[in-house]
This record gives sequence, structure tokens and C-alpha cells, in this order.
Amino acid sequence: MWKTESKGIARAEEAVKQFLPPCQIKCPINEDIQRTNVLISLLPEDPQQAREGIIQISDYLYNKNPFFNICGYICGLCELECNYKAKGGAVRRRLLKRFLSDVYTDYLKQKEEFSVIKDKENVAVVGGGPGGLMCAYALSKKGYRVTIFESSNRLGGALWLIPNYRLPEEVLKATVDNLVRIAGIDVKFNAKLGEGKLTIERLRNEGYKAVFLAKGTPYPRVLTFDGATVEGQDLSGVMYGHTLLYEVSHGNIGANYFKGKKLIVIGGGNVAFDVGRTAQRLGGDVTVACLECEDKSSRDGIPADEEEISAAWEEGIKIIYSRGVRKIIGEHGKFKGIECPKCTCVFDEKGFNPKFDHSDCLDLNGDLLIITVGQVPDRAFLQREGLVDERGRLAVDPFSLQSLLKEQVFIGGDVRRIGFMVEAMKEGVVAATSIERYLRGLDMREGRQRDFEAYSIPLRKTYKPEAEVVWIPPEKRMHFQLFERGLTLQEARAEAKRCVTCGPCVSCKACISIGFEKSLYAVEVDREKCSGCGLCVFACNYSAAHLVETDGRILSATDMFKCKSCGMCVVACPSNARKLVDDDTERRIAKVMASL
Amino acid sequence: MSSYEPKLVCFSCKFGWGYLGNEEALAKQIKNWVPIICSGKVDSAHILTAFRQGADGVLILGCRGGDCHYQDGNYEAKKRVHLLHKILESYGIEKERLRIELSIDPEGNKIPQLVKEMSDKIAKLGPVKKFGEPAKAVAVA
Repeated sequence: MWKTESKGIARAEEAVKQFLPPCQIKCPINEDIQRTNVLISLLPEDPQQAREGIIQISDYLYNKNPFFNICGYICGLCELECNYKAKGGAVRRRLLKRFLSDVYTDYLKQKEEFSVIKDKENVAVVGGGPGGLMCAYALSKKGYRVTIFESSNRLGGALWLIPNYRLPEEVLKATVDNLVRIAGIDVKFNAKLGEGKLTIERLRNEGYKAVFLAKGTPYPRVLTFDGATVEGQDLSGVMYGHTLLYEVSHGNIGANYFKGKKLIVIGGGNVAFDVGRTAQRLGGDVTVACLECEDKSSRDGIPADEEEISAAWEEGIKIIYSRGVRKIIGEHGKFKGIECPKCTCVFDEKGFNPKFDHSDCLDLNGDLLIITVGQVPDRAFLQREGLVDERGRLAVDPFSLQSLLKEQVFIGGDVRRIGFMVEAMKEGVVAATSIERYLRGLDMREGRQRDFEAYSIPLRKTYKPEAEVVWIPPEKRMHFQLFERGLTLQEARAEAKRCVTCGPCVSCKACISIGFEKSLYAVEVDREKCSGCGLCVFACNYSAAHLVETDGRILSATDMFKCKSCGMCVVACPSNARKLVDDDTERRIAKVMASL
Repeated sequence: MSSYEPKLVCFSCKFGWGYLGNEEALAKQIKNWVPIICSGKVDSAHILTAFRQGADGVLILGCRGGDCHYQDGNYEAKKRVHLLHKILESYGIEKERLRIELSIDPEGNKIPQLVKEMSDKIAKLGPVKKFGEPAKAVAVA
């Protein structure tokens, strides 16, 4: 029977300096990646038994990251730091999570609610996006009574703007709806803070002792050139990418909406590519024009993901690099084209400060212009609520996310700084910790600063190539169904097996969960027997065994953070100086030998 | 001779063999079975001790090549078996008596099968010939 048990928590003790595998350091919420990889690799072949295993693995992940099944579609930040990258491709962690999600998303609706006694203060979370939900989840699990105030009629925030072909609506909906049910979070829909009488002051009067403000960035950024707004954004035929994605997600735009139309999308971020690919799927002929150049490694490189760019290109979208928009040309109140001077430099030492060569100017004509150059928060609201400083900037402590002007208010997510979904989630977690400290009267900073250190790749004889990501060919994927195929059970097990488990055992303990080992044995070196020959150093694949000079003698020692208790050094030692403390293997072998 | 049943010691890696099966039920079928965390943890001394204690054969089951959880434990075990073959032969112990198999079988059903196969082969060889004892003497006994 396939069974995992978590005896205590597999996470490493929080320490000032914590060793983790590089993928888990890259992940803003330090998800337990190595552990899941090992357990997936040990899943049964039988689909029904595997399903039970998947649910066990997922339940564990869910505790820390109730969004993991969404991450499986759209994140994959961890893969950027995988040690395997240089040895045949990063372990496809995103697809492995999607593999879990394929079973778990369905299971979510039958997952039982957490039994937590809600006997702590009332906390208001403003905004039901990933940041707000994550904060509410963390606080709710600790016994706080949390209410989310969501301005629209659905939870998920900006995640709704991700097109269906990347993140299916059912997955998003099942995740957010079940999250609030499972964690016991109250939600007030159509409750927009700053509208009517609903203010922070009002929340305070109603008994909410703390507020987490994660209102996101509801407004599109207008197109500017040389610091001034470009005229003509009110022409008919000019729209913002946000608006398009919003309307598409609400089902307000029918198929072939852009049929026969020539569209120009301005922007080089992932959202611009979402917009371009969406418009192309709606029948349009899309050209994406961006300020940045095609060389992603340069400072001025395009920010969109490589995968987005190549997928767009496959789908027939033209990409024009290094062009700004100097002028929007209209005719009889209708959009006609743009003037695009060559951008010679996007960033300088001061930051975003594009320079142009006006002698090299490209004229682009089209029927529609979709501006997707970013999004901005509701500044007027922040001002009215007195949350900005005299220079008009959000006054918030970036470490604790506590407002510098109102102590019971905490601010995070896109409203503070635009980022990936998981970065907003991280801010939700940080805010939850801060709110708890605030309400319990604890110090905001003490013991919270953590440094991480990663390990390099262990040595081994063979490395395997990464699993292939399978996309539906472009001629068959111009619709809003998923365009990427998930891993099969067999593929998932093989891909998970590639993980070389470079992280320390204390942050994983998968072998203990599944009952292979009883504990993480420490290696003990008998100083009298050790000759300092160094064979153990040679045998160790993790650079844990090493030689040290003590009292004029060379002796071997073991770095307990790097050691995996595999026993390879014990076997290699010619003078029997090494042993694994508490390991019963020797005893079991001796018993069998004695019975012969 | 017909009643002669060879004694086999079987080491199997937990990451590749029988982790989904019922360990107790398997243990009843496999005599002298030692599930071990990694085949690389099987010391040459363990193998030699087994023969010294009267084992007629030793079977080591490790992960498939490139699958070792501890990077190269299975490779190390294979290397060790290769070297031990030479040593064992110099003592008159046939190399067929020490075998390593790198494969995967989560259910573990193949383990008793492999033990049986090897056992049958060793039965043909007869017990390990004690040093200095002529082979014939054993056959007669």
C-alpha cells in the first residue's frame, strides 16, 4: 500500500541561514519541491493507486500553497534555478505540478474543510487575488476570522486575465472557490473599498482589527513618449490589452471578433503576448511591437518569457523589436496607424529612460491598436485613504508590508509592486505574519530575516535529458483550449526521477515519509580508527565528507548539512572508522548472516 | 543431492524493489532477504561474510542505471561485484554465486522469482567448495 506519512514537518527549521535546494530558494514561497519530486518518482503504476498517492502528495503541498495547481500551469520560476539546467535541461517541475493538479483539481471539491477554531481577531482582506487569498488563507488557518472584500463578483483577481489556453477557467474557479471554503474564509462580493461608504475607517469601526490591502492594479497604463502621454488614445479603434482580456474572460467577446482585422499590440511583457495570442485566436492578424530588443540576455531585452514569444511566433504573430510609439495617427476619429522611431536604449543607470533615433522611423498601419504597456493601481483611492507620502508614493515598509501611515493597514501584491502571481502570494504570506505579530503585540522584525544558501549539483555518472513539452501544433491550436499536453503517469515518474535531490535531507525527508528510513542518520567518525586516507572524500557524491586537520592529524569529517546518510563513505572506509548512528542496516545484515 | 537447497542472501534497494509490495508477505517468500536503502551500501565485507557464514550465493538488486537516488550507488555496487568476482574465483568460488541485477520492480514480485532462478543455477554447482577440498568429495556427499 502506497502511503506517505509526515512525521512532524519536513521543512527545515527556520534558521538565520537556511540550506535549501536552489529551486526552493528561487520559489518565493519556498515550496517543498524536492520532497514532491521524490514521492512522484515512487508513485505506483496502477492508476487508481497512483491517484491516492497523488492526493497524499498534493494534500501536503496544499497546506503551504493552496495555489499549487495553478502554479502547475503558469509559473515554473523554480525551473530557472534547477541545477539540472546545465546537464540536459531543468527538471520540469511545473509540468509535474500540473500532473498533480490534473487529479487534485477535481478532488478539491470533496476536500474537507480545515477544523480550526476561529477565536482570534477579525481581519479584513481587501482584494480577492492571489495576494489577498494567500494572506486570508494563512491567517484563517491560525484562527483569525477573515473576511475578503472583493470588488467584482468572482475571486482570483488578475488571474482571470490569463487566457484560457494557458490556464483553464475550471482550474482557476475550482482553486479559488474551494480555497475559501476549505479555509473557512468569508467573502463579500461586489464590495469595492473606496466606493460609497466602504472605507478603511469604516472597516475599523466594524471591528476589523487589521486590514490587508491587496487591490492589485485595476487600471491600464497609458502610452507615453518622452514623458508625455501620446495623443490619440481616445480614438475609435484604440483599446487597452487589459480591457480585452477582461472582456474575453467574462465571455463578452465572440469568436472571430477580430476577423479580417489588422491589429497592432504595443508592449513586450507576458501580458502583451497574452493579448496578441488572444487577438490572433479571435481571427485577427496581429503584430506585436515593443521597445525592447530580441536579445533577452541584454539589459534592454524583451521581458516576455521565451515560451510565450516562440508560441506567439508559431501562431503567426509578427514581432517588431526596438520600436517606440511617437504618434498615433487617426482619420475621421478612427485609428489608422502609428509612427515608430527606433529605440536605441531602454534602460540607463537611472532606470527606464528610453532613447530614440528619430531618423529611423517605421510607419505601421492597422485597424486596431491595443496598448498593453502595464497596469497601475488606483492612486486616487490610495491618496484619499491617506496611504501615500508627500511625494505621492505608497508609504509602506517593504519588509513587514505595514503601512507607515496607518499601523493597522498592511499593503502588498501588485498594488505595491507588479510581479508574478507567486510574488503576490509571498506578500500575502508576509503580511499574514506581520498582521499576527501586530495583533499579538510582537516585534515586527525579530527573527524574520532569513538567508538561504543553495547547493551545487551532486556528481553522478549519467544525466538524462528533460521530458519533452508537447504543444498542440499551431495550425490546430487557434482556440481557447489548453495548448500544452500534460505528463502521463509514466512520464511524470520518469521526469521526477531525474531530480538529483541536491537539497539537504532535512528540508525533504521524503524517504522517511514513505517509510524507507527511520530517521536521518548522522555519520560518526572514530578518531582512533581514521587514518585520514581520504577514500571517503572520493566516495562521497555530495562533497559532505572532507578532511580536516586537528591536533596535527588529518582526519575525515562530515558536513551534516550536505550529508544524505547514504552510507557510501561507510562502505568505502578501509579502516571501519565511519558509521551511521542509529542505522539498523548493519544489525539486520548481521542477523541474516547469523541465521545462515 | 536432491535435497540440497542452496542458501542465498538477497540484498535489494528500497528505491527500486518492492516498495509497493507487502514487505512481510515478501519476506516469507524470500529467505535471507535484506532490503537496504541503496545497493551501494552493500559492503564487500558483507558479501564475503555471507560466503564465510555458509551462503551459497549472494544476489544484489539495485536501481536501473542512472536511477540511483544517491547518484551512483548502483554503479558502485556493480563495480564492487566485478572486482569481487575476481577475488572469489581465486578462492574457488564460482562467479555465478555473486550476481547483481540493475532493474526496477516496485511490487517486488520479481524478487522471489530471481532468487529462485539463481538458486536453481547454484543447485547445479553444488555447495561452495571448501578450500583444499576436492570438488568430487562434495558431489559424493
